[in-house]
Amino acid sequence: MNTLMLAVEQSTPINYLPVVLQLLVAIGFVIFMVGVTHLLGPKRKTADKLINFESGIPQVGNARQPMAIKYFLVAILFVLFDVEVIFFYPYAINFKELGTEGFMAVLMFVAFFLCGFIYIIKKGALEWEE
Amino acid sequence: MKAIIAATIIGVIMMFASILSNNKSGIVSLATVLFFFLFGINIWEVYESINATGVAAPAYLNNMMSLDSFAIWFSMLMSGCALLYILLLGKEIAKVGKHVGEYFALIAFIMVGIYLLAGYSNMLMLFIGIEILSIPQYILAGSDKRNLKSTEASLKYFLMGSFSTGILLMGIAMLYGATGSFDIINFRMLQTDALNPLALSGILFLIIGLGFKVSAAPMHMWTPDVYDGSPTPFTAFMSTIVKAGVFVAFLRLFHASFGNLTNHWMMIVAVITATTLFIGNITAVFQQSVKRMLAYSSIAQAGFMLFAILSVNATAWQGIVIYAVAYSVATIGMFAVLIKLKDYTYDGFNGLAKKEPALAFFTTIFLMSLAGIPLTGGFMAKYFVLLAAVQQGQVMWLVIFALIMAAVSVYYYFKVIIAMYFKTGEAELNHEVTGYDKLMLGITCLLVILIGLMPQLLLNL
Amino acid sequence: MGVLMRRNAIIIFMCVELMLNAVNLLMVAFSKMFNDPSSQIFVFFIMVVAAAEVAVGLAIIVMMYRKVHSVDINILNRLKH
Repeated sequence: MNTLMLAVEQSTPINYLPVVLQLLVAIGFVIFMVGVTHLLGPKRKTADKLINFESGIPQVGNARQPMAIKYFLVAILFVLFDVEVIFFYPYAINFKELGTEGFMAVLMFVAFFLCGFIYIIKKGALEWEE
Repeated sequence: MKAIIAATIIGVIMMFASILSNNKSGIVSLATVLFFFLFGINIWEVYESINATGVAAPAYLNNMMSLDSFAIWFSMLMSGCALLYILLLGKEIAKVGKHVGEYFALIAFIMVGIYLLAGYSNMLMLFIGIEILSIPQYILAGSDKRNLKSTEASLKYFLMGSFSTGILLMGIAMLYGATGSFDIINFRMLQTDALNPLALSGILFLIIGLGFKVSAAPMHMWTPDVYDGSPTPFTAFMSTIVKAGVFVAFLRLFHASFGNLTNHWMMIVAVITATTLFIGNITAVFQQSVKRMLAYSSIAQAGFMLFAILSVNATAWQGIVIYAVAYSVATIGMFAVLIKLKDYTYDGFNGLAKKEPALAFFTTIFLMSLAGIPLTGGFMAKYFVLLAAVQQGQVMWLVIFALIMAAVSVYYYFKVIIAMYFKTGEAELNHEVTGYDKLMLGITCLLVILIGLMPQLLLNL
Repeated sequence: MGVLMRRNAIIIFMCVELMLNAVNLLMVAFSKMFNDPSSQIFVFFIMVVAAAEVAVGLAIIVMMYRKVHSVDINILNRLKH
């Protein structure tokens, strides 16, 4: 607590000057470069240049086609199950220290996980070829 | 802790029940049995905690939960309300859509969130509790897929809810920056004189974030639309039990951690309370639909519950318990009546007294309780929270303002009673009122009056 | 504060995610400052809950889109009488 108060007292506005300078330089550089390319670069506006460049192949149709809703469901479930794995990282680091109790906790976590997975399969959310 | 585990398992069981069976009434009765079981486990826990007097409150999960007697008692009362809710509205829940089992599973998960919020002692648990509480609600709000209004309500609730979660997290992060701990006990160390701006803005963010969840006034914009659009049975759940759960979290945080900093946040919360009372009550007067009126009245009732947070003393804890139960029971009853009607406007109630005298009588009792007429639960609830504020003594002007607003609320609640008894018309019912419905409504009514006569029953801490 | 300005539900949603990321960054910074790993665990929880929220939220937005073929939140005003 005391160290904290000290840390807070030390950070006067003047300490942030380097950060502000850095920000100014970064923003200034971006504006400068964009402006310079605009001024110096040659300007050609033709119909060929305005269309999208697809590796030289003429483009076909529109990319924004409606997607199958089944695919969307799979994607969402993937995001969910992918992110849940995050909880294994702390466990992997403290694998030895946590011992049996930690192992049981992880087993329980995986069990709940499996419940969800079985539920999804039974509901038929993963069958996207009908 | 047993109740939390049991509620989780019940949720999972309900999920699988919905896969295995398509029999709606079977699932409803399974849910009823399981919620009875949950209530039983809660009572068991209360019994254990009474026997274990003198022992320090048990701490779980590395001191992240401290289930003191208040937490256990409050969880028990909330399970009781949930059981009542399922007994009253279980059949209506089954009519909302196809996925009946999932609805009950989500309700069970919301109960987990409420238990976590009742007994948390770490900001992590507060955050997780609030999220477990909110995410199923977004789904429940949009569960009526055929109805566009329900979808809209769900989207709106989701956007506002996740926004408020962001603000709440910002507050937690700032408090962590100021104290170096997530434990709510350690926030007490913040000294009044040397309060750094980080902690102060953290508290402000927390007030805003939690204010969103309890629909306090400047942050109430989502409430009427969401409550109006959601399927009626779920509105009944969202506006009562869930709200009470979040209020207890609010109360615990501000009493346990910021109790010695009252002069910093007292004024902000007082202004929020005043606006909540004003907007809730005045707007409710102009509503045409009873469902929407109840949504605004739930904002107004939130204003009264905010009094418990304002007054940092023991009476406030008693007040919030009585208020939560009395308000939940009466509102659930009111929604159970409302769902029987075809037309949700005031005119829909015309002549109900002639057609269904029992139903009209029960409605009258519920509305009287909501308005705070003596001998009903609502009166005792309002009495206790205002008493707490008077004992605290800093916000007398607000108490007087609240009394005026309570008088205003009588007007719009009685408009329904007048429509039922003194206007002629044919109140159309959605479906027949069975003897079972009457019995359950009668029990609810008895509870309302019992709380009004003997509020001490709820304070058996 | 894109949440308050934009009209497109998905953009609002992304802004909310940005807010959460800001919190995560702040937490990690404080964790370094205090030498306390507990806030990093908190960040894990925030990320997981955010993922759950994404799943529910996108499902709701898709449901909305299938009904009205738009993700503009101005049409939400229909609920106001």
